[in-house]
Amino acid sequence: MYYSSRTRVRPYMKMADLIDGNPYLLLMLQHFDIDFRVSDLTVLQLCNRYDLSEHLFVSIANLYTGAITKGEQRFTRNDLLHVIGFLKRSHNYYRFDKYPQISSYIRQLQENHPEKELKLLEKFFNEYFTEVREHLDYEDEIAFPYFITLLGTEQQNNPQEVYSSREYSDHHTDIELKLKDLKNLLLKYVKINDDLNLRRKLFMSLYELEFDLYIHSLIEETILIPSGVDIEREQHA
Amino acid sequence: MHKSTLHIAVLESSKIIFEGIQAVLYQSDLDCRIYRLETLDELPELLESKPTDILIVNPVQFVNREKDFRKMRKNFPSLTVAGIDLGMMHKSSITTDITFTLYDSAEHIIHMLSKLNEKSQSIPGEKEGEENLTKRELEVLTGLVNGMLNKEIADSLNISIHTVVRHRKNIAMKTGIRSQSGLTIYAISKKIISIEDIEI
Repeated sequence: MYYSSRTRVRPYMKMADLIDGNPYLLLMLQHFDIDFRVSDLTVLQLCNRYDLSEHLFVSIANLYTGAITKGEQRFTRNDLLHVIGFLKRSHNYYRFDKYPQISSYIRQLQENHPEKELKLLEKFFNEYFTEVREHLDYEDEIAFPYFITLLGTEQQNNPQEVYSSREYSDHHTDIELKLKDLKNLLLKYVKINDDLNLRRKLFMSLYELEFDLYIHSLIEETILIPSGVDIEREQHA
Repeated sequence: MHKSTLHIAVLESSKIIFEGIQAVLYQSDLDCRIYRLETLDELPELLESKPTDILIVNPVQFVNREKDFRKMRKNFPSLTVAGIDLGMMHKSSITTDITFTLYDSAEHIIHMLSKLNEKSQSIPGEKEGEENLTKRELEVLTGLVNGMLNKEIADSLNISIHTVVRHRKNIAMKTGIRSQSGLTIYAISKKIISIEDIEI
């Protein structure tokens, strides 16, 4: 690992203290479907209460705090089902919370400033949002069911030839790319007068989204896909 | 030339070698911060989170991983790479920019690293705030935002498709904008094209 000032999450730590140190962990709790009132519970106690393995919880929490963990220990099938639940709930966060919020800021901005550039920016965002929704639908309807079947206890005699874990990993990069474009356009190029409150809120939302998307793809790439590939290998062996 | 803190990552699994390199760097005049990595897999995350200038690496780490590493370098073109020559692989491989051995003097190693850093800073278009496009790049950009295909742009400017692709890469690098629709907004903001030309 590299040296960083952030604390590494460990099972004996109190969840409330960890949230104090890094409020983004709230987002993680939400994606795990864990209530925010964590009382005085340690990470381990919290995991027990929600029937989660602390290995999985700590691994993902450390992605959020930026402390890189090395995955020697493998994830169980049950862990991976939790991962899929986690990813699905984060999809809903994108779909119903973050993107609509950004969309409403951009709409407001466009209404406050009649320049045509902002109309184009809104169009850019709307097209982008449509692409994102398509991608999320694809994962929810094709990729995740595939993984769930793969994780099923019965051996699949006829694993769907149309799809595999590696194919899944090729699928997502565009989403982060266009988000960067949007940020760069607003930071460097598109001239908007004043309206700093609104523009700051927009930026903060974009950064929050970017951060969560980054973690999202890390989870897919470092946990879900490698485990999926392992299982496929076992089944074909 | 302005001097700023150098961010150096050391990818070396031996603690003894790592600490030795760290000591040599910290005792020199170089103003640097050092990060330690134990495996190649940790590199992308470091690069994402910290602006790393130089990677000092034991080439053993690349065995069977050359492709991954080349991909990482492509994503982070400003990163320069110094290999530690352990006598096992004597040819300076294409994956590293310089190599030094554990028996080189501290002065020599520091000298090589500072030269490496100067070189990386002189790469055109890498400096911040320099998104000025060349005349050709502007022409390619204009074609692009007008919805022309690479082949059409190539034909109209009398250049090869390969060259068009290279210009496009440079445009993306200089502006930080990669999508076509994003570049359209860029071109309007910069008054490269008129907004009247674009259908909304």
